[in-house]
Amino acid sequence: MNMDIIQGLTQASMPINLMGTAIGVLMGLTVGMIPGLTISSGIILILPLTFVLEPDFSIALLLGLYVSGMTGGSFSATLLNIPGTPSASATAIDGYPLAKKGEAGRALGISISAGFFGGMFSFLCLYFIAPLLAEVALRFHAADLFSLVLFGLAIICSFAAKSLIKGLLSAVIGLLIVTVGQDPVMGTARFTFGNANLLSGIHFLTALIGLFAIPQLVSSLTDKDIGTAGARQKLGSILPKILDLMRIRRSASIGSAIGAFLGILPGVGGPIAAFISYDYAKKASKKPEEFGKGSIEGVAAPESANNAVTGGALIPMMTLGIPGDPVTAILIGALLVHGLAPGPLLFIERADFAYGVIFSFLWANIFNLVIAMSGLRILVKVLAMPKTLLMPAIALFCVVGSYALRNSFFDVYVMFFFGLIGLAMKWLDMPVVPMLLALVLGKQLEEHLRVALTSSKGDISIFFTSPFSLFFICLSVISIILVFVAEHRKRSKVST
Amino acid sequence: MRKKNIIAGLFLTVLGLAYGYLTTGLPERSLPNTPGPSFFPWIITLCLLVLSASLTLQGLRMEAKTPGTDKTGQHQSPAYFFLGLFVVFLASLPFFGFLFASIPFFAALMLCYGEVGKLRTASISFGFPIFLFLLFRDVFNIPLPRGNLDMLSSVVNVLT
Repeated sequence: MNMDIIQGLTQASMPINLMGTAIGVLMGLTVGMIPGLTISSGIILILPLTFVLEPDFSIALLLGLYVSGMTGGSFSATLLNIPGTPSASATAIDGYPLAKKGEAGRALGISISAGFFGGMFSFLCLYFIAPLLAEVALRFHAADLFSLVLFGLAIICSFAAKSLIKGLLSAVIGLLIVTVGQDPVMGTARFTFGNANLLSGIHFLTALIGLFAIPQLVSSLTDKDIGTAGARQKLGSILPKILDLMRIRRSASIGSAIGAFLGILPGVGGPIAAFISYDYAKKASKKPEEFGKGSIEGVAAPESANNAVTGGALIPMMTLGIPGDPVTAILIGALLVHGLAPGPLLFIERADFAYGVIFSFLWANIFNLVIAMSGLRILVKVLAMPKTLLMPAIALFCVVGSYALRNSFFDVYVMFFFGLIGLAMKWLDMPVVPMLLALVLGKQLEEHLRVALTSSKGDISIFFTSPFSLFFICLSVISIILVFVAEHRKRSKVST
Repeated sequence: MRKKNIIAGLFLTVLGLAYGYLTTGLPERSLPNTPGPSFFPWIITLCLLVLSASLTLQGLRMEAKTPGTDKTGQHQSPAYFFLGLFVVFLASLPFFGFLFASIPFFAALMLCYGEVGKLRTASISFGFPIFLFLLFRDVFNIPLPRGNLDMLSSVVNVLT
């Protein structure tokens, strides 16, 4: 076995890092199950801590939260018919009817087991695909990298928005914000208006805290779902029976494969993967008529897909530095704070750390299974936690998190400003995820574009002569055209 | 006609024009055929203007939402109150420091989110910011802002 792999495994298995994973899992299950709180909110809560903790521990903590947040979402979906996270919406379709039949424990046991199956499948994908993809990515030149980042942005605009124009606008505004500060090639100050705070640009973590947390805090003011409902369902036996496990193997496999694949694509995320896998599992089932009435296969498919998405999303993040969703974007930020840049070079320069992340992901899935199964009866009591305590705590953590990043009040004001932008975007039905991705990738996009054009002396054919670059540009164009055509058809249908 | 899209489209057009104007002030690179610092901002300006024009046009062509379907305008007063509270908190932060500014802010937020227990509000709004302040100062070595306490003590001196 490769020395880096052994080192990575040892690092991830150190007691302190295992403790980090376990704490992360506990937190993830908690925030995941509280309707209205997203995994991103949970991450924001612990983000300031990660600045001062060791990178291994921070990543273990964040990965634990990421993985278990998905599982936590299914608890409230099953017990209350209120999905804790958007990804758990499909789980409620069959989970809640099962709970109403008095089989809440069975439904939750199945969802935890299926989630574990999906997580382990995506771990294998991550373990085998990530190093290979990193090797391929090492051959990329500036033009290829530009086209790849462009593809990441194009696909996220296509998937994340109801309207293509609004998705693209969100990304362009993100790119506009990225140009504030020193330019990445020559270091010239741009759009700083003489303000020294703006010279280093706007930190995307500050922007992210504002974009996600402030709109959520505002919407929670009138949202009655959060913390008002206690878990009243009787759980019964949680441990799944062998027969049940045999019955869900097909739907869990479908969910895992779909989840891992869709997780790799930036912006697709858990909710889409869960609904697609639910639909496929129904088609492949011997008893499709049971779907929607309390089928365990209907619980297993979306839950395995949700958890498989996490490993899938880590693949482009680790190998290409492209985040698949807000959580992986924060993970990139947490790594950058510690001077570790995710991308193909991570597997060359810090392969031990890269494998450490992969094995921390494995541990997160194992802990998720163990803690969720053993602590479920206690954990569901969290559903009664009042929002009167939670929301003010999140508000304070937003301030502390933004301040602690660079010990600067300026970042706190920037966070609030982005909160207002987030509210405006919500009012306009404009998705924030493309903007977030643009904030993360914008500098790279500009740098690769300018380096590529400088090397070709201004000849833009460089983007079409390289096979990799051409491939990604074609994919970008196709993804945009497909969404455009779909939108046009939808509008024509409505008008007729 | 969908007003929201038109307003957003026009606002973004103005933003694009202003951004383009500021881009004209950026230095050009002297080497021929190589992109300078203003190259990327010009691309953004172009994209922003085209997309915001498209959004405006889309807003003009689309039918308005039927009354009652758009719920974004409802229950706005708690939101404004929350944002106002946040602004006051942020403005007071440099002067009073994290601890003294956070206690009333936390209490106000608890009430804002529907807390009715006075003792509970008082104890948590005191306890939580103090816990956070000490946690960051002593455990994570991140001293949260203490504010201009000198100013406070001088005020006290003047008064006494």
